[in-house]
Amino acid sequence: MNGKSKDKELEKDHAELDYEDESVRELLTLMKDDSELIADLAYAAMVFENEELADEVHKLESEMDKMMYQIRLKSMLGARTREDAEQLSGLLQVASAAEQISDAAEDMVHLLDADVDLKPLLPHLLNKADEKVFTLKIEKGSDLANRTLGELHLESVTGVRVIAIRDDLKWIHGPNGETELKGDDLLIVRAHEEGYQKLWPVAHKEESWKELIG
Amino acid sequence: MKELEEKLLEMKDTSELMLDLAYSSLLYHNKDIAEEVFNLEQKVNDLQDSINTSILENTDIDPDKSFVLFKMADSIERFADAALDIADVVLRDIELHPVIKKSLSESDEHMVRKKIRKRSFLDGKTLKEAEMTTEIGMKVIAIRRGNNWAYGPDKNIKLKVGDVIFARGPRDSEDLLDKWVGATG
Repeated sequence: MNGKSKDKELEKDHAELDYEDESVRELLTLMKDDSELIADLAYAAMVFENEELADEVHKLESEMDKMMYQIRLKSMLGARTREDAEQLSGLLQVASAAEQISDAAEDMVHLLDADVDLKPLLPHLLNKADEKVFTLKIEKGSDLANRTLGELHLESVTGVRVIAIRDDLKWIHGPNGETELKGDDLLIVRAHEEGYQKLWPVAHKEESWKELIG
Repeated sequence: MKELEEKLLEMKDTSELMLDLAYSSLLYHNKDIAEEVFNLEQKVNDLQDSINTSILENTDIDPDKSFVLFKMADSIERFADAALDIADVVLRDIELHPVIKKSLSESDEHMVRKKIRKRSFLDGKTLKEAEMTTEIGMKVIAIRRGNNWAYGPDKNIKLKVGDVIFARGPRDSEDLLDKWVGATG
C-alpha cells in the first residue's frame, strides 16, 4: 500500500468520526508526539547544560497542561452512556500519561536552575546510551541547506531524528516535514553514532546528499 | 561511580523501551506486550532502589552529584510509570476507544507490526547486520516467534521467515520496511 492510499483510508475513517471525536483525536496525537519530544528535549538540555532548551521544555509543558484540560473537557462532553464513559476514561488515562511525562521532563530540567555542577557526570552518562543526543551545524552551501526535512526523508534515510533547530533568532522544537533547513542552522538531533557519522560529512560539505543515499 | 552510571543508563533505556511497548500494545490491543511493560516496571524499580542505596552507602560521592543522580532517577522512574499507566488501559477488559488507535496511527513516530515473508532480505540476518535504524530509521522493539517473545531484542538475534517484528520509526519508513520484509516489490 502506498502512502497516498493510506492517507485516503485515514481520511475515510475520520469522516466517520463526529466533530468532538475528531478534536479529541487531534489533541491525543499532539500530546503523544509532544510527550516524546519533551523527554528528548529534556535530556538534550541536560547533556548540553542549555538553559534555552530548558525554556523550550517549560513552554511545551505548559502547552501540555492546556491540552490536558481541553481533552478532559471534550471527553466529558462526549460521554453519553456508561460505555462511553468507560472507553473515554481509558483514553484520558493515556492522555494523562503523556502529561505525566512532560511533568517529569520539566522536573529534570529544573536541575539546571539548582546551582549544582552537572559536569562531567551527565554528558558522560547520557553519551553512553544506545541513541545519543548530538549537535549538528549545517554549513552554508551544504546539500542539506534549503531543503525540507520531508524532501530529504532525513529520519528514514539516516535514522537521525531532529529534535530542535536553532537559527539566527529562535529555537524551533519538534520540526515537521515542512521545516526547511538553512545554512548556519544548529540542529539538536537524536541518533545512533553510525547515523550521525553518516550525516556529518554532508552537513559539513565534505560529501553530497547523493553520495549519502548512494 | 561507574556502576551507578550504568544503572542509570539502563533505567533510561528501559523506560524508553517501556513507552514504545506501551504505545504498541495500545495500537494492537496486545496484552502480551502490555504485560511485559509491567515486568519491566519491576526492573526499573529495582534499579532505582539499588541506585538510591549505592548513593547513600557511597560517601565518596559529593552531594551535588548525589542530588543529580537522585533527581534523574526520579524523573526516569516517572517516565516508566507513565508507560505503565498506558499499558494498564490495555489490560482492562474494556474495548478501547476508537479514537486512541486513530490518534496513534497519525503520530509522527509510527508503530508498525510486520511479518517477515519468504525471500525477505531480512531472513537469516541479525538485527546488527540489517542496520535497520541507520538504513531506514526503524527501531525494532519486539520480535514474536510463535509464542515466544523477545522484547528490546538483542542485536545478535537472527531473524527468520515467519517472525513478527514490532518496530517504531517515522511514517515514511513504513514503505521501506514493507520492502525489507518482502511484503511488496
